[in-house]
Amino acid sequence: MRVLRFVVRRLLQLIPVLLGVVVLTFLLVRVLPGDPIRTILGPNATAADEAAAGARFGLDRPLWQQFTDYLSGLVTGDFGTSIQSGQSVGGEMALRIGPTMELVVLAVAIAMVIATVVGLWSARHANRAGDHGIRVLALVGNSMPEFWLGLVLILVGYAGLGWFPAPSGRVDPDTDLTPITGADALDALLTGNMPALTSSLWHLALPVLTLVIVIVAPLLRSVRASALEVLRSEPYAAAEAHGLPGRLLRRGYLVRAALVRLPSLAALVFGFSIGSTVLVEYVYSWQGFGQWALRGLLYRDYPVVQASVLVIAFCYVVVFLIADVVHAMLDPRVRI
Amino acid sequence: MSLSRTGRRREKRDGRFGTVLVVTGAGILAVVALAVLLGPLFTAWGPNEIDPSAPTLAEPGGAHLFGTDVNGMDVWSRLLYAGRVDLGIAIAAVAVAVVLGSVLGVVAGYFGGWLDDVLMRLTDIFQAFPTFILALAVAALLGSGPVNLTVAIALVNAPAYARLVRAEVRAIRDLTYVDAARTSGASTIGLLWRHVLPNSLTPVRVIAPLNCGWAMLTLAGLSFLGLGIPVPDAEWGAMISLGTGDVVAGRWWTSVPPGIALLVCVLGFSLLGEGLQERADRVRR
Amino acid sequence: MSLLSIENLSVVIGGRVAALSDVSFTVDAGEVVGLVGESGGGKSMVGRAIVGMLPTGSVATGRVGFDGVDVLTMSAERLAHHRGHGAAMCFQNPRGALSPTRTAGRQLLDRLRTHQGMDGERARESAVELFEAVGIRSARRRLGAYPHELSGGMAQRVMISLATGCAPRLLIADEPTTGLDVTLTAEILRQFRHAADTDGRGVLLVSHDINAIAAVCDRIVVLYAGTVVETGPASRVLTAPAHPYTRALLRSVPDLDGRPVVVTPGAMPLLREAPAVCPFAPRCAHAEDDCRTSRPRLAEQGAQWTAACFHPLHDAVEAGQASDVTVGAPARRAAPAARAEPVLVVDDAHVVYKSRFGRGGHHALRGVSLTVAKGERIGVVGESGCGKSTLARLIVGLAKPTSGSVTAARSSLVFQDPIGSLSPRRTVEDAIGEPLRALGVPAAERAGRAAAVLDRMKLDRSILARRPHELSGGQAQRVGIARALVAEPDLIVFDEPTSALDVTVQAQILAVIDEVAADRSHGSVFISHDLATVRGFADRVVVLYLGRIVEEGPVEEVFARPRHPYTRALLSRGVALVRDLEEADATAGCALAARCPFVTDRCRGEDQQLQQYGESRAACWRVPEIGELV
Repeated sequence: MRVLRFVVRRLLQLIPVLLGVVVLTFLLVRVLPGDPIRTILGPNATAADEAAAGARFGLDRPLWQQFTDYLSGLVTGDFGTSIQSGQSVGGEMALRIGPTMELVVLAVAIAMVIATVVGLWSARHANRAGDHGIRVLALVGNSMPEFWLGLVLILVGYAGLGWFPAPSGRVDPDTDLTPITGADALDALLTGNMPALTSSLWHLALPVLTLVIVIVAPLLRSVRASALEVLRSEPYAAAEAHGLPGRLLRRGYLVRAALVRLPSLAALVFGFSIGSTVLVEYVYSWQGFGQWALRGLLYRDYPVVQASVLVIAFCYVVVFLIADVVHAMLDPRVRI
Repeated sequence: MSLSRTGRRREKRDGRFGTVLVVTGAGILAVVALAVLLGPLFTAWGPNEIDPSAPTLAEPGGAHLFGTDVNGMDVWSRLLYAGRVDLGIAIAAVAVAVVLGSVLGVVAGYFGGWLDDVLMRLTDIFQAFPTFILALAVAALLGSGPVNLTVAIALVNAPAYARLVRAEVRAIRDLTYVDAARTSGASTIGLLWRHVLPNSLTPVRVIAPLNCGWAMLTLAGLSFLGLGIPVPDAEWGAMISLGTGDVVAGRWWTSVPPGIALLVCVLGFSLLGEGLQERADRVRR
Repeated sequence: MSLLSIENLSVVIGGRVAALSDVSFTVDAGEVVGLVGESGGGKSMVGRAIVGMLPTGSVATGRVGFDGVDVLTMSAERLAHHRGHGAAMCFQNPRGALSPTRTAGRQLLDRLRTHQGMDGERARESAVELFEAVGIRSARRRLGAYPHELSGGMAQRVMISLATGCAPRLLIADEPTTGLDVTLTAEILRQFRHAADTDGRGVLLVSHDINAIAAVCDRIVVLYAGTVVETGPASRVLTAPAHPYTRALLRSVPDLDGRPVVVTPGAMPLLREAPAVCPFAPRCAHAEDDCRTSRPRLAEQGAQWTAACFHPLHDAVEAGQASDVTVGAPARRAAPAARAEPVLVVDDAHVVYKSRFGRGGHHALRGVSLTVAKGERIGVVGESGCGKSTLARLIVGLAKPTSGSVTAARSSLVFQDPIGSLSPRRTVEDAIGEPLRALGVPAAERAGRAAAVLDRMKLDRSILARRPHELSGGQAQRVGIARALVAEPDLIVFDEPTSALDVTVQAQILAVIDEVAADRSHGSVFISHDLATVRGFADRVVVLYLGRIVEEGPVEEVFARPRHPYTRALLSRGVALVRDLEEADATAGCALAARCPFVTDRCRGEDQQLQQYGESRAACWRVPEIGELV
């Protein structure tokens, strides 16, 4: 299948890019001002303590050797040991990717659905009050700092109305949820734990809402613009002029053509959301990947930073790949 | 083949929405700019000045329009001073990014070859990251301080402009009027400067205002996390971070006003950009 | 009762443009009516009014009667049924009017299902039949093709089948032949004639090219500035039209027989409301006082023949007036100086465009040799894909030959797209001054010379400050010619300079070009797909086909006695080509082998070189025999 060959080809192209990312991060993170050992051990550490810690984490070895050690570790799936916690980086990451992905995937999915439905409606009623109102509203949402929005939602939803749980933790500990993937709602579903499911969904509500409000605007704009373009295009007018009924027009001639540019934009938005989760997780104490990576950066925890960067880059590239494939499926003019 | 037969067909139907957006956006920005530039002259306190007579976290009212924050500083004054920092850095960063990106984009788009390939690989690596994360990394690298932050944000944005301009240039490269200029004997530099560059900046004109809004949000976000303008200094994101713990307890006046200020500013930029885009679309049709 | 009966239709758009004013005409079943006029004349509005799809913000008065019912006041459901099944439109630019994300077959099935209630296998079979009926080969396979995979000719056929699939009573064809080659045009028009004769449909052919559609029309309706100026039987209107504008239209188009082109000055106005006077009066050579004070209505000139003119003409079109400004009359041209120095020598040039993916490539020009002397006027003729644009670029140095050589003196180029050839953000003055700037001429002198050459083009100096989008097509092309002249080059190349312009404007530009080329201080190369235009312009003509020269010689010789089968086919001298251009591609042997009716094995295997026959040369070994066969 052509699609399969395309995917394989792109994954192969991934490798040099990821390699570049690894090298760049490896060097950059060591160029950062600040010494991880001193940061972790505190100001009262003696030289002997520092030397011992340095040896433990292999930081006394020459740079190129550190790099090859790291690379060989990567190949076997070992991301190294966290300087802060002494735990396996891979292990810590596995616990935290789930919750973040839960947030991002849910938010992007919900935002895409809203954008599609509202965008199509807006285009069909273009340039009238409803359309203008929707566009401005979306813009307002897009202009807010997401961390501030999170705070406001907490203020209103928790401190004010009391409908939503406190912004700490992702699920009520009394429900005894067994973690499998780290994504609590998913785990609850998988283990059939209904109380946990409800609790995790309530906890998810505000953070997901925060993200959705912020990212809906560009998606909406894209769907609306594409839909408008189609509605005003010659092919659409030609189909109308041939008397094709409204439903056939919308389903066969409008939707597919209007959604053509959505995948690439969704991929961009996905990437943007990963950046936003760092801030959102901070506000909601989500204990996700973003917070963990940020702490690693602040403490100059080299393995943590390297691993986070690598994973982010990988995710980003894979998401773009999926977007390209979907785009090619939607638009027959694209040649793979 | 879509050669215009009379060359003069331009409908202005319902182009008013775009103009409304542009005017509103520009208006908002003008008001903010004025407030931020002149306002601090009229406030009683400096950006880091503590009022010894007022309690910390005083509620809004009286001498303090928005109350005081956890350190006892007047929120309203800091709000205005912070505006200078946010607006200044955002606009400066985008300006640098536009210049840098456009030059690279024109060179890569017009000449192609290995230059183009190298640029594309570089932008690929840059674009393998969400921009906020990138900004985070570069800011951590360069350190805080307004100049460093401007450079960081500019560097992170430049690749996008380079790609945008490169795409335009590649399209323009094959257009008739470029051929016409070449047959008229124009030198390459002259060609690029007079014909290619001005016509390839059209998408930049629309993106730049939107980008300013984004730059401001990034700056605020970085400061919120502690990687931007350091906390006691006046910057909207830093101010929000200062009041985070208090919000949960219902004391909103330290964190909410700076966020509203950010919202208004970025909205101004967004309306401006969206309006310009709307008008550009009209003309094309 | 007529199938379509339009009565006093007026359409005003946005309160500002009177697209149509009191238009009336009829179309009967089984009849082909041609609706003719230049752009802005309102032709497309008529089509849209008939299917009830006038643009938003437009106000229509009058009546569009279809089978007795007024389309303009139809209920929504009646309208939905009428669109497609009552009247179906074939759109201009067919590849652009087909939905890009839906296969051709699905789009046809949509119409079969909507209007003929067909489903499943029966619908598919009908679809295949329809495709075959319009001449699409491998019909079953083409059902699964997407629009961007179709060639221009194929897309036009699909468009026709889509309209026919609605089982309409009336077919409206909007500019069905624009962008198509001569051979394809005849084929497509035949389809419409077939629809009228065999299927009994009414056909309304809307076109700016009166001569192209003339052959298949029963009657012709001529529009000017949104008003009907003449209607009548095709035979009548084409040979001895009553209205001066119809005459202007006919005489603005170069004729294959060499009749000189008559230039009509001015441009068609865009009216804001229904005219109170004759709209053509400002440009009319026969206008008198009453034309300028009141508006003539359609008056009977004979059987089924009406014209809106106070002073209709009665002699044949050819009869000229003394005041006519003509182009290309051979007597006006001074003979070229003999043995003048060459300004262009192309020697066995090949141009190969390499494919992006390394394999294959497009061999745009094969072994082309050409010499142009100072003062000579060469015409290059060929259809799309023959390599004429590549040749133009080669001559002026925009393209380098892959092998062979090009030696040219200082040259300049006039482009096909007048507005596109001007940089959008620069003024006219800048544009004209560009060649001088490259030569290092100082700014003040540049401005002076630009203004001077603008005067020569008979353009007002106020144009100097304008930008390209503020110019009309005709003005922009004059600016382009001015730019080509300003540095006094030794050679000027005109690449299809009039194909993007309206008919009457084309004649004006041809007059300008004629005057420019008459100046024997430089050589001129005129490239076009239109033989008639080339005939009026050139001393010698070169015929290109798929990158090779197939015939060349003095213009009178080639036109009177064409040798090569391709030239004969172009001039319709007893040779018809088999198959469409898109499906044939020659790499070895004679270029025309895949389409020539006289092809033999020797033709397919042996590369043909130019051989002398009389005063011209042709690349065909069978020329003497063909002369007898035809």
